[in-house]
Amino acid sequence: MPLTSQPIDTSIYSAITDAIKTEAERILTEGQVTAVVGYAAARRKGSAQPIIITEATDAAKLIFTAACVNNLAVYLTKAKKEVPKSGKIGIVVKGCDLKALTGLMGESQLKREDLYLIGVPCAGVLGSTVQPATGLTTDTIAPKCTECDAHLPTGCDFVPLQTPVTPELEQKYATEIARLEALTPAERWAYWKEQFSKCIKCYACRQVCPFCFCEQCLCDRNKPQMVDTTPRPAGNTAWHIVRAMHLAGRCAGCAECERVCPMDIPLNLLNRKMAKELKELYDHEAGFEVLDKGPLNSYTDKDDQSFIK
Amino acid sequence: MKHTAPTHDFEPKIIAFVCTWCTYAGADLAGTSRMQYPSNVRVLKFPCTGRIDPVFILKAFQQGADGVLVSGCHPGDCHYIAGNFHARRRFAVFRKLLEFIGVDLKRLQFSWVSAAEGGKWVEVVTDLTVKVRAMGPMTEFKELAMEEQWSGAINTPELQEAYNAI
Repeated sequence: MPLTSQPIDTSIYSAITDAIKTEAERILTEGQVTAVVGYAAARRKGSAQPIIITEATDAAKLIFTAACVNNLAVYLTKAKKEVPKSGKIGIVVKGCDLKALTGLMGESQLKREDLYLIGVPCAGVLGSTVQPATGLTTDTIAPKCTECDAHLPTGCDFVPLQTPVTPELEQKYATEIARLEALTPAERWAYWKEQFSKCIKCYACRQVCPFCFCEQCLCDRNKPQMVDTTPRPAGNTAWHIVRAMHLAGRCAGCAECERVCPMDIPLNLLNRKMAKELKELYDHEAGFEVLDKGPLNSYTDKDDQSFIK
Repeated sequence: MKHTAPTHDFEPKIIAFVCTWCTYAGADLAGTSRMQYPSNVRVLKFPCTGRIDPVFILKAFQQGADGVLVSGCHPGDCHYIAGNFHARRRFAVFRKLLEFIGVDLKRLQFSWVSAAEGGKWVEVVTDLTVKVRAMGPMTEFKELAMEEQWSGAINTPELQEAYNAI
């Protein structure tokens, strides 16, 4: 691990921005897509926000910078109404966002032929957009980017010809999971109790998650009420356990939940732990191929049952 | 002759989620065969282990269970062909999650008990009861349910005092 913060080369992002603009303009002019979901500059210097453009003249608004943190896949789920549902949609995706789209295709939420994927060769994005104009360094990079294995998205319709420089970084989640696993159960309980007690039940994690597309969430039902809805410790703990369980085998680690959490609960830590267990138990990794059935709705007769009497 | 049952300081509450086709019938067999097993267990009947949502287990712990038993048909014997195979994967993963959160997995037992295995049902229930009795009450989830929300960040003495004054 480098002792001091090292800058990460993001010089390719300007060339990528130009390529995205040209491509978006072309596909909109040619009528290949009805809309393009991408990033545009936001009001604060250096910041970026999602944008949905339907006119070729708006393509010049599109950008890609280290502040383009959002996973745009969430705009294509049925929970979101901003995107026109007719015709083909163009979408700007980083490698991590593409994994979410792959998962959504596997769950019959999206069809590949309805999408025009503009892949972004990504060297990493900022962990926090509180100061969007800061440069990308080994300190400011998002924790998910330290474990990224999809710097170059695969299977897209268009990818700008750039190769990101990706230094070897300390894997933040793996390190933290190993640290927690080494603790005693009581210590782990104390850790999560403290974390979950911060939760204010704003459900931003649910809102931003591409996989939380249920029209009625189990946690909103009150007959029977399975999970206490008030932001108190019991309900908070249950909510986070249910959330992690429902994402097990599906979450590919875009870490949007963790980014949007106003109380800084390490939500993606739970997701990564579940991903690790599914890899060990069933050799499954989410987001690499479109699967009809995920690991928790399929089975083999040889699954481990050493824990069952 | 006076019946002398052993007395204990602590009697755990055990919730058993069982499938109606195998384990429930197995427990029934244990009963009709006049087998003795601890009365600590409260049996909840489900159509299939595949119907048993992990959230039920959470709910049981929150509502005061000291131990939870989930039991159904042996693999291959499911009335609905594959319900227990799905349950097997789901609970394998759920155990790992609970372990990571810091729940002692000794309180959570899974088993396959067929309709013919009254003896195995007795054995599984007795084992779990003895184990949980030795461990004492499950306090973690109950404490959560009792606690008011005091987030670490806003838990100042002034706020605590104001709250106590209410």
